[in-house]
Amino acid sequence: MRTANRVYGLRWVLLPPLTGMGILAMLVGAVVAAPTELVEGDVQRLMYIHVPSAQAMYLAFGIVFVASIMVLWKRDMRWDAVARGAASVGVLFTAFALVTGSLWGKPIWGVYWQWDARLTSTLVLFLVYAAYLLARAVSDPGDEQAARYSAVYAIVGFLDVPFIVMSVRWWRTLHPQPIVSRLDPQLPGSMLAVLGISTLAIFLLALWLILLRTDTERLGQRLLGLRAAVDRREEA
Amino acid sequence: MNATFAVVAKDLRLAWRDRAGWLTAGAFATISILIYSFAFDLATNDVRPLLPGVLWTTFLFAGVFAAGAGFQREAEEGTFDAMLLSPVSPTVIFLGKLISSLIALIAIEFALLIAATILFDEPLLTPELVAIVMLGTAGYASLTTLLGTLGSGPRTRAVLLPVMALPLLVPMLIAAVRATGGSLGIFGGDAPWTLLLAVFALWSTLTAIILFPLAVER
Repeated sequence: MRTANRVYGLRWVLLPPLTGMGILAMLVGAVVAAPTELVEGDVQRLMYIHVPSAQAMYLAFGIVFVASIMVLWKRDMRWDAVARGAASVGVLFTAFALVTGSLWGKPIWGVYWQWDARLTSTLVLFLVYAAYLLARAVSDPGDEQAARYSAVYAIVGFLDVPFIVMSVRWWRTLHPQPIVSRLDPQLPGSMLAVLGISTLAIFLLALWLILLRTDTERLGQRLLGLRAAVDRREEA
Repeated sequence: MNATFAVVAKDLRLAWRDRAGWLTAGAFATISILIYSFAFDLATNDVRPLLPGVLWTTFLFAGVFAAGAGFQREAEEGTFDAMLLSPVSPTVIFLGKLISSLIALIAIEFALLIAATILFDEPLLTPELVAIVMLGTAGYASLTTLLGTLGSGPRTRAVLLPVMALPLLVPMLIAAVRATGGSLGIFGGDAPWTLLLAVFALWSTLTAIILFPLAVER
């Protein structure tokens, strides 16, 4: 526990250089080192940002889910700060995944957007968590009731994901099926290595941003607490 | 059980006294059906394939609208807080609210089905379609009731409720439109849409029942 606390205390020392190196390695790997895809050409290099962004999105929304359960369970506003921090970063990476996906889709599929299973479910996720942020933003950061309400919404939203995926998959599908996350990856070794580096880099970036947002939310809550205390002192 | 019926009776009585809220939802839905009917009639001669989509978007908008309007008065008068202070479990209050809004919504939907039968010249009151409508309504009403009764304030509720509820209801909308289309023989498809609709209704009701007490705890 003490070691964990010490590592956490060093987050602003460790994360920025690690993330910087990771992103640099990702750029070099994706633009220079990785081989050009035979059919799709250079546009396929978008994969090295598209796929990790989508994975970072699931990481962030998973954190929102766990933190929201903790808000209801522990009644601790620090978890609300974590949930809000992770949700904003998750929405950012969802937007990343959607934009890079559209740019990749245009030359390959001929369209920017299709009501395909995975595109639709990602867009719905984007809308759910954007609504979460909106609901939380119109209420006071220190409002515990609003925090509990938003936590309920985030939990329902996360549990809704299997239904979203199921319904749109039965509906139609165009997006390629997973080629990496299976027992025998179908990607050549060099591409897989670059994808691994990119995933690590994007995850570090997501982690850094989530911690940064969480600390900011936490500071906002403490500022409100201080203001309230000062007001009480002045009235007394 | 008695407490649940007491809440149902109270809500229905309030809905009857404050008819304006529900009548507005009903009027809004009727206008939507009419507008769809002649807007699409201008664009295409065959409006039949559009019918499932028209029905369900109208139901959903009316439902979300009604959920917001129905609790407006209660939140303003502090009735909701008073009920939470009473010695009944929040689950009972939620069940009562859910049942009363289901009754009101199904009444509106039946009126709409009759209107659509006339406008689109399509026999809509078949047992299969009625079952699909009931299942779909159970699926969305539990979530809109959950989101509608909570909320930070009356001002934000009206605006935020559709933004929050509709994305969650996308799976239900797809399943309901497909099942309705299948029942009308407009478009088939081999996926078990009615089953998905039933599972969604069960899931959303259970989730709402479990989460409601946790959300209103103070």
